[in-house]
Amino acid sequence: MIRSLLAWLDNRTGCNGLIHEALYEKVPGGARWRYVWGSTLVFTFVLQMITGIFLWTAYSPSAQTAWESVYYIQEVMFLGKIVRGMHHFAAQAMVVLLAIHLIQVIIDGAYKAPREINFWLGLVLMKIILGLSLTGYLLPWDQKGYYATQVSTKIMGATPVVGAQLQEVVQGGAQYNHHTLTRFFAMHAGILPGLLIGFLALHLYVFRRHGLTVHQPKKKPDTTFWPDQVLKDGVACLGVLAVVLLFAIFKGAELSPPADAAKAYAAARPEWYFLFLFRFLKFEAVEHLGLAFGAIYVPGALMGILFMMPLTAKMKAGHRFNVAFTWLVTFGIVVLTTMAFYEDANNEDHQAAIAEAERDAHRIKELASRPSMIPVEGAVSLLREDPFTQGPVLFAKYCASCHRYNGHNGRGVVLKQTDKDTKKVSTVIPEATDLANFGSRDWMKAIITDYGNHFSPLKDAQWYPGADDAEFNLDDSEMASASEEYAEAFTSPENANDLNALVEALVAMRGWKGDEETIDAKLVARGQQILDGEPLADGTEISSCTDCHDTIGSDFEITGEGYGYPDLAEYGSAKWLKAFISDPGSDQFYGAKNHMPAYADKMNSTDLDLLVRWMTGNYHETHVEDYPSRIPEVFGAGAQPAAPSADE
Amino acid sequence: MSENQNATPDADDTPPAESASETCCGTSPSDESDCSGKPRRNFVVEFAAAAVGALVGIVPAAIGGLFFLDPLVRKGDKQADPAGNSEDTGGVVKDAQGFIRLTLGIDALPEDGTPVRYTVRDDIVNVWNKFPNQPIGSVWLRKIQDQVLAFNTVCPHLGCAVDHRPSEGDFYCPCHTSAFDLDGKPLNVIPPRAMDTLEAEVRDGGRIWLKYQEFRGATSEKVPV
Repeated sequence: MIRSLLAWLDNRTGCNGLIHEALYEKVPGGARWRYVWGSTLVFTFVLQMITGIFLWTAYSPSAQTAWESVYYIQEVMFLGKIVRGMHHFAAQAMVVLLAIHLIQVIIDGAYKAPREINFWLGLVLMKIILGLSLTGYLLPWDQKGYYATQVSTKIMGATPVVGAQLQEVVQGGAQYNHHTLTRFFAMHAGILPGLLIGFLALHLYVFRRHGLTVHQPKKKPDTTFWPDQVLKDGVACLGVLAVVLLFAIFKGAELSPPADAAKAYAAARPEWYFLFLFRFLKFEAVEHLGLAFGAIYVPGALMGILFMMPLTAKMKAGHRFNVAFTWLVTFGIVVLTTMAFYEDANNEDHQAAIAEAERDAHRIKELASRPSMIPVEGAVSLLREDPFTQGPVLFAKYCASCHRYNGHNGRGVVLKQTDKDTKKVSTVIPEATDLANFGSRDWMKAIITDYGNHFSPLKDAQWYPGADDAEFNLDDSEMASASEEYAEAFTSPENANDLNALVEALVAMRGWKGDEETIDAKLVARGQQILDGEPLADGTEISSCTDCHDTIGSDFEITGEGYGYPDLAEYGSAKWLKAFISDPGSDQFYGAKNHMPAYADKMNSTDLDLLVRWMTGNYHETHVEDYPSRIPEVFGAGAQPAAPSADE
Repeated sequence: MSENQNATPDADDTPPAESASETCCGTSPSDESDCSGKPRRNFVVEFAAAAVGALVGIVPAAIGGLFFLDPLVRKGDKQADPAGNSEDTGGVVKDAQGFIRLTLGIDALPEDGTPVRYTVRDDIVNVWNKFPNQPIGSVWLRKIQDQVLAFNTVCPHLGCAVDHRPSEGDFYCPCHTSAFDLDGKPLNVIPPRAMDTLEAEVRDGGRIWLKYQEFRGATSEKVPV
């Protein structure tokens, strides 16, 4: 029954002959593992077609939906992480397999007559595959792909004569926009795969015409493609699939933060297999010769030599030259790639940029998975409006020229300076307090018992007048003397509880998010008594804080009036902090003693709000690991650290 | 590695395989005609080749297929909690049964039972976006003592919007002249059923909670869609 049906089909279509042709191709000298590479490439391409089409069913190419849809595929959809991971890693496998295939063809002489045409077809296929990986890199519309692809389109713009027009056409406009994505997507999922299929068919047809290039003396009798070589090919493909799956499951494709044209991405790098070109372009000599030289002429010349190989081979020692050239270029690529990796691993700025990108990437996933989901403006607005993300950036921009945050600039970077003459790199000494623990219990405790030390970084400030000026002298000012005077009493074991009570009463004024649960009301009550001047447990009489700071308590109001003793009403609260940062030299705060710039005109209210919300912990709860403390590095020189603390 | 593999382990099972192919295809590349017949088959190798070939095809296709079935696989595992109170982000208050809290209290409805048209709003989830407070449909609300009677404005006939006609004291659909009394009962033969009532409750001091639903048109039975 089936037999007759097949016979009928064969009679009408001649399919048996085709199948026979396909399966019983001769393999001279027996099946070999070295013949599997071409098949693994075809398999990987099929794998890309399968995973690519399924990804297509969930991908949405526009500037407000591309990242969002990829996020949804990766984090929410069933097996989405695996499907995207397979597509991501199979693309990389394809480049590796392509390199192996090409090198093998050259060293085996399989490019020589009569196989010239097939070699050229293979080079076209290579270009198409590189085009696929380049266009695919942009599609997630994440910071990494966005800024890496910017480099590629800028290189296009450096093309002689038509560069600018070419770039604009490819981008669908002068800048990246919705159409950049739709155009790249049409290339990636339509035009390039179509071309690939066409050229692959030609490649296979011509390959069959000339047959395998037999390497070395035949060690075994001839056989046919089916089943011996098919089994070897299949096992190799299975190996590729296994590697791709393992990477997809255990590593997973990266999704960096959503593309933000307003936020430069210092960690931008091309995909690793283009790193050699990236590194090559960074050579000073190459840079000097211009982008077109390094990115267009040199690769073009190498491709030209590659293209000419079948003709070169006809010359005396031509084949040897080709093989030597191939190994030389391969060696160069390996060296440049290694250099790029090595340099990046040892580049502090690059590492800091990566750490920030990872922090943002984790954070955006937290924000996007909230019940309010992703706003229509796109996920990038979630990060722009997030104090946890923007606070450190604003701190680095506005505060870190004097202050530090756990020893770094807020973004995890220890500020360094290079001496003009000696070229020696040294840490920049902070000129104001470390603010990582601002408003915490440790902060309050340090002010009460160790004021001079707590503010000691001020001594390194340019303006610091030194010991001659009693008002500024941190070891001799009013508050420093008071703190010194009480330190002994407060640190005696008898008064330990009273110190905690006073600290608690001060902390209670800040009213941060979550304080209701953590503030100890009993301690606050006792602390209030001490603030009002009651003696400590061991009978020590201390003068009340309100003698100078006559406004301790609640109901902070901006009056601009006072005597240069900081207003402590709602001290540490967002309201207080905003008023202070806006005008620290107001008589309500430090008055004439102040040296901090007023930020009322330097920062807009949105930024001030984000900064203050970050400093006071008022943002959507996070499990993202913050930048590690760098205090030991900054204060290693012997200056005193501002006791770091993870308050609550 | 490749050389070891040439000692095919299954050669023991079918020793003639090698010699057969040897005699058939020989070593001369020219005698293709001799090879037109298939060489003696080695079933173990054939089976293994077919199995491996199938495996590398099926695995990615199956993973992709399951990914495509995501809407079925993840049913009920909605990312956003529809019952979550999202009023602070401009959203709509909704309980676990799907009752939406209207912005209207029962006191705002006329005592005499005159119908009031009201646009129902809900937070619409569109895969990864949430659109808070979007109009999803409208209803006629009537106060009957201290209860609320609610009708979907969609005509059960063919889906036009039913109007209130104060002059006649009825509900009237301008498309195909369906008419209903104020309790929703049909007044002519055009509508296949009465107007669709919706579940409405008066809770916490006069706030109206409504479960908005739509129903299939042109059937005598009321079937939610």
